[in-house]
Amino acid sequence: MKHYDVAIIGGGVIGCAVARELSRWQLSAVVLEKEPDVATGNSSRNTGMLHAGFTYKPGSLKAECAVEGNQEFDRVAAELHIPFRRTGKLVVGFTEHDRENILKFKAIGEKNGVKGLRMIDREEMNRIDPNAGGEFAMYAPSSGILDPMQYTIALAENACRNGAQFLLEHRVTAIHREGESYVIETDKEEVAARWVINCAGAYAADISAMLGYPRYYQRGFKGEYYVLDKKAGVQLSIPVYPAPNDKGGFMTHATPTIDGNVLVGPDSYITEGREDYANRREQLAGLVRDGGKMFKQMRAEYFIRNFAGIRWKNCNPETGEVLDFIVESKRECPNTVNLVGIESPGITCALPLARRAVKLLLEGEKAQGREVKANNRFDPVRPRAKRFYEMTIEEKTAAIEANPDYGQIVCRCENVTRAEILEAIHNPLGVHTLTGVKNRTRAMMGRCQGGYCQTRITEMIEQELKVTPEEICYQKADGYVFTGKVRDCE
Amino acid sequence: MRNADVVIVGGGPAGLAAAVRLYDLGITDIVILEREHQPGGILKQCIHDGFGLTRFKETLSGPEYAKRFVDEAQKRGIPCITDTTVIDVSADKVVTAAHADGMIVIQAKAVILTMGCRERTRGAISIPGTRPAGVMTAGVAQAYINLQNRMIGKEVVILGSGDIGMIMARRMTLEGAHVQAVFEVLPTPSGLPRNIEQCLNDYGIPLYLSHTVTDIRGEGRLTGITVAAVDERMQPIPGTEKDYDCDTLILSVGLIPENELTIGAGAELDPKTKGAFVDEFCQTTVPGIFAAGNVLHVHDLVDFVSMEAESLAEGAAEYIKNGSLPKAGIAIACGENVGHTIPQRISGEKSFHLSLRVRKVMKECTLTVSQGEHVLLTRKMKKALPAEMINLNIDAKKLKGTDDLEVKVV
Amino acid sequence: MTRDFTCIVCPNGCDLTAEYEQDAKGIRVLRVTGNLCSKGDTYARQELTAPMRTIATSVLVEGGTAPLVSVRLDRTIPKERIFDVMAAIRRVSVKAPVVTGQVIIENVLGLESNVIATKDIAAK
Repeated sequence: MKHYDVAIIGGGVIGCAVARELSRWQLSAVVLEKEPDVATGNSSRNTGMLHAGFTYKPGSLKAECAVEGNQEFDRVAAELHIPFRRTGKLVVGFTEHDRENILKFKAIGEKNGVKGLRMIDREEMNRIDPNAGGEFAMYAPSSGILDPMQYTIALAENACRNGAQFLLEHRVTAIHREGESYVIETDKEEVAARWVINCAGAYAADISAMLGYPRYYQRGFKGEYYVLDKKAGVQLSIPVYPAPNDKGGFMTHATPTIDGNVLVGPDSYITEGREDYANRREQLAGLVRDGGKMFKQMRAEYFIRNFAGIRWKNCNPETGEVLDFIVESKRECPNTVNLVGIESPGITCALPLARRAVKLLLEGEKAQGREVKANNRFDPVRPRAKRFYEMTIEEKTAAIEANPDYGQIVCRCENVTRAEILEAIHNPLGVHTLTGVKNRTRAMMGRCQGGYCQTRITEMIEQELKVTPEEICYQKADGYVFTGKVRDCE
Repeated sequence: MRNADVVIVGGGPAGLAAAVRLYDLGITDIVILEREHQPGGILKQCIHDGFGLTRFKETLSGPEYAKRFVDEAQKRGIPCITDTTVIDVSADKVVTAAHADGMIVIQAKAVILTMGCRERTRGAISIPGTRPAGVMTAGVAQAYINLQNRMIGKEVVILGSGDIGMIMARRMTLEGAHVQAVFEVLPTPSGLPRNIEQCLNDYGIPLYLSHTVTDIRGEGRLTGITVAAVDERMQPIPGTEKDYDCDTLILSVGLIPENELTIGAGAELDPKTKGAFVDEFCQTTVPGIFAAGNVLHVHDLVDFVSMEAESLAEGAAEYIKNGSLPKAGIAIACGENVGHTIPQRISGEKSFHLSLRVRKVMKECTLTVSQGEHVLLTRKMKKALPAEMINLNIDAKKLKGTDDLEVKVV
Repeated sequence: MTRDFTCIVCPNGCDLTAEYEQDAKGIRVLRVTGNLCSKGDTYARQELTAPMRTIATSVLVEGGTAPLVSVRLDRTIPKERIFDVMAAIRRVSVKAPVVTGQVIIENVLGLESNVIATKDIAAK
């Protein structure tokens, strides 16, 4: 049984951010993730918004972390080499009632310390983006867009480079205390750790109960999305959100993605299924209807994919009221940090939450007389080669000269080269799935959805990782792609 | 930057045919850029027979059909640079491509776009459900089985009655899979009648028209789907749902011309064909940029792909020599029951080939090409199917003046 | 008696109608209509008496640049023997190089049809 100082349960954006922040210290850390990759749950199933922080109750952890996370993100993106753009955001209205609700949020935002919020008229909206729906809007300059998968992967890889370990396909089944340590049972092997940090997202309430915390009530607010072609992407430059409803919730919005697509969604409805990520016919119809109000070019010919995510909100079990994020460390549950109800704006808040979690851990260590030393070799920078499609022609020429694999385009829609696919196949976390390559490179993510490149990529995975056809999996460990060979030597 | 008279983007049946014909017309400074390791395009994986009956008067498999053109191009020494992906074509005909030896930039006098088409995907038609492994387009299934020796599943359902879908139904049955059924959302099959006969009926595979997939289940691998009958607006009819247990769902739900480079070059697209607007020389709205084959409009037979590409050679050769072609001022309108035409405009100076598809199944009908009150051509047809292209030759001598034409089938 | 067919000989896919008589001695085709060419007539007559088909599939290649070579039959075989022929094809492999037209199985199962390669596969 391997022993660690800290076991982090869950390889979503929170678990990876915690791992990365922990790796600043001389602590051995392991991330236990049930899926074959990080960011397979709700960390990848969201809009990819860097929120400004104008919708959250003043004084709440959500408000505090969102503003903090928003303000620092230019540096974070630079350190991790992830694409990021401060697009600003429009919260648009059609009626006077919409205006009242928007103004409520403007006041909240100002109280939270969000800078630059102002109301604009249609004429100014036209200058910002004529394809944005609505008659007037609140403009929030500090909102931004990023790729939440790239971000989570970057946090994980940076943590990994700084010493954290990742055990993928390790689902935690039970936790018990033995002496000064926790023994964590998984569906693979047992792992021992002095500290446990619960970053289990959809399953946070279950892990929380395993650690001895009260069983929190997390309610699943599911939302579905359309992904639109880059041909739609060139027609939208800024996220367009509708005026909040009377309860303060945002419904279907239209957001350009950092890679040039458009996301339309999410809607919102309650689900019981922890991983109920299936799209429903009637919900998709609703997205088409509501999305068109936000983005005038919402057209069927642009549809390339759908997905769904679930915001697991920490709720009052009696009233159903949505509560704040929880980051706690209780004496009754020694050497644990419990993060519950982490939902939107979880991407924006990941590092601020991680710092708070690490702080609780360090305080706990100190209280037990342990002085944790800083990891002097910690490097916050996660290098990443420029993508071929981002390069100028001179850079492309130089890249091919240095490595001819850059001259072989495997994915024609997104112009992803063999060099980039190979790098993704040999990723530092040891992810071997087809979607692992997809989320790292954008191959198979374009308008043909892998129609051209998928067969080439599975072939490369087989060759590079020396696996049999039956071992190739799509996204999940049991998501086999092949049943065997058509012809085989006896 | 190098120069060439002609750069051909794509070495499939259209590109190769255009190259050979151009060469024979005296345009020998040709470069074909092909993204795959070998020329031949999609035909390499279309190992079934039935190709070439129109063009070569014999029935060939896809690879054999392709080889005819590959051999002809090789015989003439026409360079085909493989493993080369074109990433940009500019309006002034500079072609930029990536290759392992470096970027290739060629200033061409004329560019011929023969990139073919891609398959519509699950996302394009918004099929609800989960996202397990085991859901793929027919072309991907075909590449795995016929090129890579990979078997993709055992219990199969096919959505869409396109030709590739039906051909894969037979192919998978021959390789030991159980194909439960083919479902088509339209009230008429999208593929050719002969394929319904020899790919489905021969193997006892039922075809259900006016049905679609309404749910996909399974987390890791596909475990099942739900199918429902649809009404005339193609909406599922409540109460008709039926579940099928399967590990594979193959989609054959249409092809889309692959026109990203065409758009980049500034050529206008026809929303009806999803390909470029062209004149009778297959010239797009950008002078000197031509298009033929499935990139222009989706064909039913590869024979017509090659023949269309061969037909553009004369105009392209003239353009290379003179720097221009007669202006196409006469529009061809789609009249009653006509889905689209190629070309959409003509100059009126030259006899031309007209391709079209009808919108619905018709029996004992008449096709008419007219110019105002003046009828240029009528053709009586026993049947007209949306699945089949109709090809006509129009004699320029029959044109009267420069009024627009109209094509209808009633 | 009459029976309708869709001709599979060429992409025209003619709708054929065959008039025939059937008794203890077998089927006698009287007339075929709906065909645009003589192949349709032959097809309908054969379809009523002894349907014939061809198949296209793949054979394993040893030491080639590709794992499979595509093959087809050079003459049609009785429809009911398709799966027997598939089984025979599944049992063989061929050493690269392979050239288009190369006979992979001669006179497969004595059906007077050869399994021929439809692709060139170079040796690795």
